[in-house]
Amino acid sequence: MLVGLIFALVVGLAALFAGVIAPRDPTALDMDALLAPPGGRHLFGTDELGRDIFSRVIFGTRYALLIGVAVVLIEAVIGVVLGAAAAYFGGWPDAVLMRVVDVMLAVPTLVLALAIAGVLGGGLGNMILAIGVTGWREFARLIRGQVLIIRTSPYVEAARALGAGDLRVLARHVLPNALGTVIVFATLEMPAALLWAASLSFLGLGAQPPTPEWGAMVAEGRGFIGQAWWVSTFPGLAIMTTVLGFNFLGDGLRDLLDPRTARIL
Amino acid sequence: MAIGVTLLVFSLLHLTGDPIRLLYGPNVPEEIVQQRRDELGLNRPVPVQYVLWVGRAVRGDLGESITAGGRVTAMIAARVGPTVELAGLALVVTLAVSLPAGVISATRRNTWLDSLSRVAALFWVSMPIFWLGLLFILAFGVWLHVLPISGRAETFWSLEGLRSHTLPVLTLGLPPAALFTRLTRSSMLEVIGEEYVRTARSKGLAEPAVIIRHALRNALIPVLTLIGLRLPWLFGGAVITETVFAWPGMGRLLVDAVLKRDYPVVQGIVLVMAALVVASSLLIDLLYSYVDPRIRYD
Repeated sequence: MLVGLIFALVVGLAALFAGVIAPRDPTALDMDALLAPPGGRHLFGTDELGRDIFSRVIFGTRYALLIGVAVVLIEAVIGVVLGAAAAYFGGWPDAVLMRVVDVMLAVPTLVLALAIAGVLGGGLGNMILAIGVTGWREFARLIRGQVLIIRTSPYVEAARALGAGDLRVLARHVLPNALGTVIVFATLEMPAALLWAASLSFLGLGAQPPTPEWGAMVAEGRGFIGQAWWVSTFPGLAIMTTVLGFNFLGDGLRDLLDPRTARIL
Repeated sequence: MAIGVTLLVFSLLHLTGDPIRLLYGPNVPEEIVQQRRDELGLNRPVPVQYVLWVGRAVRGDLGESITAGGRVTAMIAARVGPTVELAGLALVVTLAVSLPAGVISATRRNTWLDSLSRVAALFWVSMPIFWLGLLFILAFGVWLHVLPISGRAETFWSLEGLRSHTLPVLTLGLPPAALFTRLTRSSMLEVIGEEYVRTARSKGLAEPAVIIRHALRNALIPVLTLIGLRLPWLFGGAVITETVFAWPGMGRLLVDAVLKRDYPVVQGIVLVMAALVVASSLLIDLLYSYVDPRIRYD
């Protein structure tokens, strides 16, 4: 938990002060140092255009956080709205939603996101949208479960007895009580969102060069793996440490707020 | 279920409205676009197109590739084998690593070995597999020169086959092993406390026999469930692994088709992948009753 918090804080600070920490412009070319090995002027070496990899990795934190937060936000909004509505109203809306979730579970998330990103035309924004509209299933299921419990509680009945309408009950009495779960789950979803985004960028459907996005940087370095191992290695390491940090954080948050949850990891 | 999946896959194509215009760009004259749309039947009403598409799909006809010109079914058929092989072997690796590791973790609970496996689990679930693949290529292909870094030998049962399969299979199989190890551990710990394990011990069975015949077999049920839940991930991971290692499977075909905007191929592969996931889930349901004879399907 503490480890995770420190990780997240470091990534956050790096994103905030990228301009101060990074020694160079992430897109500046250094023609005297193409594919320069790590050390000396370039801490992590340079890529085939002489761009400083350390600076690019530092600026990459901004993209990683932006993508992660945006994806999880889209997932949470779709999942919470659909899940809460389905559970609250029950009957056919609930049946339809559960069918849709079942169907979407049969198609691998990455494959569906890949196809949607392809249809939308690639690029950073479209990729975020594609992952967001694919990854909301777990949110919907979780919220549905929560709302099913909450809607039978005495305070919800009391609110209804006082004449509150469905929307008011949902917004004022049901959802605020499910909020804790949503926040914990959002943290738990962050690593998955980061990995999917990095994967799509690696496959060429997310951030486009010269954006210093880690997945795209790993892909760019792939062609030079024989001559320059550092081009792919450092951005990949950045992805892994960031995901690891959020995994620690989510794991710790869950244990803290809900000790009943089975602990697999 | 079938209707849902086909509707989902079909609507993919119609999200943007006009695949032909997207493919040809804005500079191609309208007549050519119209002619191509006519040829592909894209000028008919959407519900009609859906019914026709499903009708052909159930007869094994997934249409024609826009860019390559070949039949989609034939293109996919040539690629299914390598993908299923990769995913299957990866699953074998996952279980071969995680079952023994989980049992050891459980029997040596709270030792340094156990703590190490917990940290290792978080570490491995955070691993981007495309990066792991590149690290393998770097270590075994570029630096040590012991294994080929791309392609797939025709058959697995030869020295060449073994060599070309090793890195892709490990790339896809190792990361989930950590998660499975933790699950096997907690599931074993639960089972070891049961009375039938105590009975087995008290009737004088040797410890390995108790662990394997009586404990592990019962501990396998949650493991089977996790395999079922991870199946979509396995096929998604195969897409990435195939791209990294130039593996001639469906995943690489999918990535190529998406980048070339060849929608009939994309639709076909998404459909086949969904079918594979559903079929494998059924297989796992059958395995439940094999592992635990109390579970029966009538």
